Amino acid sequence: MKRKNWTIALVSGLLSSLLILSACAPAATPAPEVVKETVVVKETVPVEVTQEVVVTATPAPPEPVTITFWHAYNEVSPENEMLTKTLIPMFEAEHPNIKVKSLAVPYDEFRQKLLTSMAGGVAPDLIRSDIIWVPELAELGALAPLDEVMPDFETYKAKVFPGPLSTNFWNGHYYGLPLDTNTRVWYWNKEMYEAAGIAEPPKTIDDVAAQCAAIKALGEDKYVFADGGTYAWAVLPWIWSFGGDITDPEITKATGYLNGPNTVAAYEFLLEFYKDGCLSPSVLGSGVDAGTGYAQDLYANYLDGPWMYPIYEAQFPEKQLHAVLMPAGDGGSISVVGGEDIVLLQQSQHKEAAMEFIRFTLSPEYQLKMAETGQLMVLSELLESDYIQNHPYYGIFLEQLKTAKARTPHPAWTKMDEIITNAGQAILREEKSVQQALDEAAAEIDALLASQ
Amino acid sequence: MNSTNTRSSGRRGTIRRRGRRRRVSLTPYLFLLPGMLLFLSWTVYPLLKAFQISLYDWNPIPGLASPFVGIHNYTRAFNDPIFWLALRNTLMYTVVTVAGQMLLGLTVALLVDRVTFGRTAFRTVYYLPVVTSWVVVSILFKYLFNSSPAGLVNYLLVDVLHLLPDYVRWLSNANTSWVAIMSLGIWKGIGWNMVIFLAALQGIPTELYEVAAIDGASGWQRLWRITLPLIRPTIVFVLVMLVIGGFQAFISIYLITGGGPMQRTEVLLSYMYNQGFKYLDFGYGAALSYLLAALIFGISFTQMHFLQRRIEY
Repeated sequence: MKRKNWTIALVSGLLSSLLILSACAPAATPAPEVVKETVVVKETVPVEVTQEVVVTATPAPPEPVTITFWHAYNEVSPENEMLTKTLIPMFEAEHPNIKVKSLAVPYDEFRQKLLTSMAGGVAPDLIRSDIIWVPELAELGALAPLDEVMPDFETYKAKVFPGPLSTNFWNGHYYGLPLDTNTRVWYWNKEMYEAAGIAEPPKTIDDVAAQCAAIKALGEDKYVFADGGTYAWAVLPWIWSFGGDITDPEITKATGYLNGPNTVAAYEFLLEFYKDGCLSPSVLGSGVDAGTGYAQDLYANYLDGPWMYPIYEAQFPEKQLHAVLMPAGDGGSISVVGGEDIVLLQQSQHKEAAMEFIRFTLSPEYQLKMAETGQLMVLSELLESDYIQNHPYYGIFLEQLKTAKARTPHPAWTKMDEIITNAGQAILREEKSVQQALDEAAAEIDALLASQ
Repeated sequence: MNSTNTRSSGRRGTIRRRGRRRRVSLTPYLFLLPGMLLFLSWTVYPLLKAFQISLYDWNPIPGLASPFVGIHNYTRAFNDPIFWLALRNTLMYTVVTVAGQMLLGLTVALLVDRVTFGRTAFRTVYYLPVVTSWVVVSILFKYLFNSSPAGLVNYLLVDVLHLLPDYVRWLSNANTSWVAIMSLGIWKGIGWNMVIFLAALQGIPTELYEVAAIDGASGWQRLWRITLPLIRPTIVFVLVMLVIGGFQAFISIYLITGGGPMQRTEVLLSYMYNQGFKYLDFGYGAALSYLLAALIFGISFTQMHFLQRRIEY
């Protein structure tokens, strides 16, 4: 045992020096090789032992360090308020040696700003990344594999929901931990239902289709359902609930899935619904957005996440949201998983301090505080907490999350999403038949997956 | 200073004079140095770096390996349907907006040239769009062409003038999106054209017009036979500058349609930008920028070559 420990210490020491070297060295030392070497050790070393070794190898810095944390919370949102006024001061009080600088970067500019900062070597230490960016950033080499650099990673891995955790996995490693999760549920407009004489919210997609005549009878500008576009986040609940999919489970091809009979049926349904005037034109980028239209009694239903509750409280306080599960089709009631992961950047100069902040974000205190602002927590231990048990609306989201699926975790996702968006547009504009548009989109995604 | 130098060199003979000559030849370069350094670091270095990037499957993170792919990024462009669409859109945008700006700019210049009272006021008013920010006016035009709630354009066409039965979804279709994008391009450029043309018009000797008037030439004849031939160098200059500007259209398209719907309003620059910052494909983006540069160079060279030679003085 003792001899084994010595070997481990030696190998780990060598590895950490290699890592340090590779961090300082210019292009000459390709980083991927180093990563490969560490894999071998990871498999043979028990977690607790690694922890000991790393702690002794890199003692905590005595002088205060500042870590930067980028997120895409709106600058004037309750989330940002909670983070900067309550949580960060709490963390800094517990860790007098660590200062946390939080920066709100608008979602649409996030990737661009991050890339620019990485190219300039001034990247933040931590980011709250959309779950769908993680594979792309990991493939780029931007992220530190958390399952290697964080000695107690396994402890945290065991604490969080497996679905959101899986969004951190790419190419054999975990590159982060989930921070918050969400999914889209079916909001139904009670006032419009009553006016149209609809008794109850739909349980199946057929029930949704049956609402068409009654809602249209309320007026030409009333719609059964509204969404903001034809991007994957919008259409995936329909595709999956119809039993369709984007690719095979191994993400090697889209042909047979994106243009398979069930996906075709989902798009045929949306097209018919659109032609009948029951799907709002907002899906092609015009008209009132879904959330506002619901508040103004223009839209009878829409799909969205838990953040709509705080938004309604602020903007439409007299309008009530009513949520049920996504209506079921042949594939069941399947919605799309959203959320964010916290990831550590490879360029970070203060990885130890940054990991301390990661641990803090996964503490029950942090998760419960953020839950107050509409951010659904990721710790399974909190499911039984009084907070969740008595919460007015989190129950339906946790229920929907049981079957919800994540978007394709792939570095080329942005491009895949664009192909899906364009195919949906071509279908609804009736420029191409459903089958033709999906055949072409599947072929494009096949080529994309083959080239990676 | 100068006189001291001359006197001392006169006294000390040839060696001193040689020394002075060396110093004189060095001074301008010393003054040029800061500018040259800026030019080298902010223009030449990025140019060369972009060329290097275009030959790699470039990883933007320093220190990480980028595989060399040779001219693959260039050959890729020729097989990329969106590249050809973006090129077609760029050419179309350039032709329409350059023609529109020059025609309207010249018209306004001719009108303002005749105004005797308040000429400065007119010049200022027409020049205002030129100095406003592209970002601000792009967002403004986006609102003008809004469909729900109706923007000013829909309001005028439907509610005031009753020219159309229903609001047009300007920005949901490629063809109608171009109306918004191109009208912005033309509107914003009229002032610059006016100022340049106005300067040229004021350089034409008034006697020529007086002589023509005595000979009984009509207004049109004076325009066709005197004004236009004499401002021809200016027309060529404006044409070359506007074509270059047309090829570099980006902000308006990026902000008004973002290249959509379905990438139908993508121009070369917006497509190039998306390659880098949307798909993280910096190599391909850099290759597109070099293709665009080659195109602009070729067109400008041809314009200069053919149009400038035939000018008679």
